[in-house]
Amino acid sequence: MNPPGAVRGRSAIVAVGNTEQGELPGISADELAVEGLRRTLAQAGIAKGAVNGLITCKSYGGFGIDTAIGRLAGMNPSYSATLDYGTCNFSLHLATAVIEAGLCDVVAIVYGTTQRSQRNTFSTPLGHPDESSVYGFLNVAGPAAMAFRRHMSLHGTTEADLGEVAVSQRRYAVDNPLAIFREPMSLEQYLAEPYLVEPLRRSDLCMISDGAACLIVASRERARDLTDKPVDVLGIAQQTGLRDRQNADQWMRPWIEQVAERIYPAAGISQADVDALYIQDPTSMWVLQMLEYYGFVATGGVGEAFRRGAVGHGGRLPLNSNGGQLSEAYMWGFLHLCEAVRQLRGDAGERQLPGIEVAQYCSTYGFMKAASTVLARSR
Amino acid sequence: MTESLALDAPFWEGARTGELRFQRCTDCGFLRWPAAGVCPECLSRSAVWEAVEPVGTVWSFVIYHRSYSRSAPPPPYLVALVELDCGVRLITTLAGSSADHTVGMRVRARFEEFLDRGVVPVFAAVE
Repeated sequence: MNPPGAVRGRSAIVAVGNTEQGELPGISADELAVEGLRRTLAQAGIAKGAVNGLITCKSYGGFGIDTAIGRLAGMNPSYSATLDYGTCNFSLHLATAVIEAGLCDVVAIVYGTTQRSQRNTFSTPLGHPDESSVYGFLNVAGPAAMAFRRHMSLHGTTEADLGEVAVSQRRYAVDNPLAIFREPMSLEQYLAEPYLVEPLRRSDLCMISDGAACLIVASRERARDLTDKPVDVLGIAQQTGLRDRQNADQWMRPWIEQVAERIYPAAGISQADVDALYIQDPTSMWVLQMLEYYGFVATGGVGEAFRRGAVGHGGRLPLNSNGGQLSEAYMWGFLHLCEAVRQLRGDAGERQLPGIEVAQYCSTYGFMKAASTVLARSR
Repeated sequence: MTESLALDAPFWEGARTGELRFQRCTDCGFLRWPAAGVCPECLSRSAVWEAVEPVGTVWSFVIYHRSYSRSAPPPPYLVALVELDCGVRLITTLAGSSADHTVGMRVRARFEEFLDRGVVPVFAAVE
């Protein structure tokens, strides 16, 4: 019997697409989501009528509900749902589950946001209201900075070590026309930035942006009708930390380790088979955490791993080759999956990496959930 | 500011009388914070507020150099997470210069006026 999460190509991504990213005034979040869908279908030559499943992702301001998007897009899919925390991996996993159950066989996953134009400042405390607001503990920068200072104290990590994450990602973004931040950035420039939430700097945090992204996921049977370059979902894994503040070391998120234990058996690969790695990065600290929990680097060894070329730009294991959220755009992780699919299909243009057969994507939803997906070029 | 009809009102009332109080489940004895209507261990709805020894250890701390909200303290300001000896983890602030603060530092609560919030717990190093 297969291990849990062993999708093994029974679902495949057949198309990805996106709109421009940045500040896009004059269009609603839901219209933007539908525009992402339109472009994705048009580029892939897939008819809207072929889509019989719709999974949307709630976006800032109460947008992104499946019933509203379906109405706007003129669709009566056999199945639809909205995830409050779509953040890409979770939406993709739901798509594979409903395809597996036979509820539909071509699912459009859509996400659109205008949170930059709507001036989302992420100024409300994360999670349940508590003493955070009294002391001004706002924005994900707070918990991430807490986790980083503790990591420095426990493991001797330095600010220059963490800086390697943002610097490496910027090197990729220079070659990415979609990226918002394309100016080269050296480690010295990083270290010269003022603190935002000390010990984190501006470049450790992603900038809020507008945009849309879309993925089309199909059953193995339908995938071959829709594209000659499907990308197989090999395996998926998840774990929650819903106890939130009742979890010890809550901002270290140690339960991510359980996803790391499950994902490789699920995909039927070993970690050494991963040719390109994607880690969702609202903050560089989450990249550091996931590199360690998934075992790509030793605890406390992230800076060294970048410096000796084990991971990152120009290294043996490419990491966030789109520039990630830190440099490309804040699409709640959706653009990491779009990039992984483009690399696997050989569609990444200037950024195309050689010999990418297997890619892994790791993401989290704050302090609540973690997920990972392994994708492979279909054989 | 800390006047509240919410579940955590007894916590802020306690701070004004110089006490650190949390809910203790009267069924399983679990001490919980943030305040909640249900015990996250045994799911009982029965609890009493109880004062604890206001001592603990700094898990970590950060300094905000920008303001994310008009209601936030004026930057720069410090926020810490203190792991109390009673097991509760409390978001708070630390008195004194941040240059002297360390992860793992032993701290004790004082109860002081904090901006326009009234009297709230503020932790300081144990001498």
